[in-house]
Amino acid sequence: MLPPSKLMEQVYLTPTPIRIWHWLNALGIVTLCVTGIQIRFPEYANIFGTYKAAIRLHDVAGITVSISFVLWISYYLFVARNLVKLYVPNLEDIKQGIFSQAFFYFFEYFLGRKNPHTVTQDSKFNAIQKLSYLFIMFLFLPLVIISGLLLMNIAPLRGWIMMMGGIKFLVDAHYLLACSFFAFLCVHIYMATLGHTPFSHFQQMWTGWEKMETHPQ
Amino acid sequence: MSRMKWFVILFAALLPTLAEPSQAMANNCLDCHGQRTILNKGVHLFIDPVKYGLTTHARIGCVSCHDNVTKKHPTDGVRPSRAKCQDCHAAVYAEYGKTEHAKHAGCTDCHKPHAVKPLLATSGRDINIQCARCHENSQTVKSHAKWLPQAALHIDALPCITCHTGSEKYLITLYLAKNIADTPLSSITLVGFQDLQPFLSAGKKVGALFDLNGDGLISLDELKKFNKNDQYGKLSLLGTMIPEAVTHSFQILNNRWDCTFCHASGPKAQQTSHLAFPEQDGTYSRMPVEKGAILDILYGTPDFYVTGFTRNSTLSIIGALIALSGLMVPILHGTLRFLTRNRRKEH
Repeated sequence: MLPPSKLMEQVYLTPTPIRIWHWLNALGIVTLCVTGIQIRFPEYANIFGTYKAAIRLHDVAGITVSISFVLWISYYLFVARNLVKLYVPNLEDIKQGIFSQAFFYFFEYFLGRKNPHTVTQDSKFNAIQKLSYLFIMFLFLPLVIISGLLLMNIAPLRGWIMMMGGIKFLVDAHYLLACSFFAFLCVHIYMATLGHTPFSHFQQMWTGWEKMETHPQ
Repeated sequence: MSRMKWFVILFAALLPTLAEPSQAMANNCLDCHGQRTILNKGVHLFIDPVKYGLTTHARIGCVSCHDNVTKKHPTDGVRPSRAKCQDCHAAVYAEYGKTEHAKHAGCTDCHKPHAVKPLLATSGRDINIQCARCHENSQTVKSHAKWLPQAALHIDALPCITCHTGSEKYLITLYLAKNIADTPLSSITLVGFQDLQPFLSAGKKVGALFDLNGDGLISLDELKKFNKNDQYGKLSLLGTMIPEAVTHSFQILNNRWDCTFCHASGPKAQQTSHLAFPEQDGTYSRMPVEKGAILDILYGTPDFYVTGFTRNSTLSIIGALIALSGLMVPILHGTLRFLTRNRRKEH
């Protein structure tokens, strides 16, 4: 039972289209990571039987992630219209939010202190989350999608590939980006366990509703 | 002087005269058959002297195959005989005869006896042009696409005989192409001897463009210098795989259906590569390239990459470290979280 000072309330944080996108994207990214390991290191990892199966699955997952990314960005741009507010760090975030949030994650959290960022519908992400998602969603993901699409169509898009520095550069960039995604995935899944219970954030991404502490006036 | 020595001297003296008839006879024949005016009497009567001169057949001369030509030819009314391919190439003929292919194409459908080049003097592109005369490119891509990912790329990048062969192993061959950014791989132009002329100083051989120290081996450093040299801006090094041994069985070995036959780091022998470059006479010369050059990240062969096969190990390690750094966050933070669980509960 919660102490009287810690009352819980339900807040609707993530609309249905975004939740569908999130899980589709999650499945896609995990599939891409696993198939990608077999594609780059076939003599060490044979997860999907044949190399061809891994390639086909990688292609399907890549296209799925690409389409879902377009739908995701379209939803925020044209339907919700709060993309900038949610994902772009404001001046306060840069001046102070990033540091106080980092201080919380790496120090204050272990002392049991309160998270400096209060989650609301209009401010779902703290300064570090904003910065991370900004890089991941608007830099890394587009780059990995573009490099992946070029690599899927080497014969017809050869001119573009040459313009970008050649096939080897593109493949290696795609690989390093993928490794960064894996690193992000590890951190992302772990951070999702830092809610008021280890599974509360996962539940929120499934139902849309997050249980949060409220302090009576 | 011993009798043996006399015999050797006599043989050496006679050698030029023994060798001469085939050459002289060929010249006589080409006096007429090497002239384009003969095209009026029949297209098949024209023999391109340059192409013919490069063939192994030129060494044995015209009359070796057309042996009933008389001194009165062409006024004697005798149609010159033609030797059969199997008269000399019996083993190849027997091997080829067992294939389905033999029911549809004879030897001369692919190998023109007056223009055929030895394999080592041929580019992969030359080989595929022969195949494409019957196996139309778009149809070939379509049939392969039923099972082969990126079929067009495979068909463009490899000679057909890389897979359709009885050869167990293959070799990596690098070759020069020009303006590859502007054209699809299927229609790029191979660099000819004339294209390299502006870069060759007087008396220098083509190999000297790559083999800077003249040791007969192209080192990774020399390859980098070639790739980084701006004056070769329009030239690119591409790579392909050719069978180590040529067969006429046209079989598909079972392991060719397994993508990892090529797309995995194979035996060290398969990391061996050669650079094929054009010579003045229209043939190609090959020079060995330092092992591992095709694995270099940026300057070895920037436009030749085979997924899973030519990956660079340093880069693989860098990627693994990036992935590992992500993994360390849950491990380290999680450990501290576990150790401080009681303190956090108090709050």
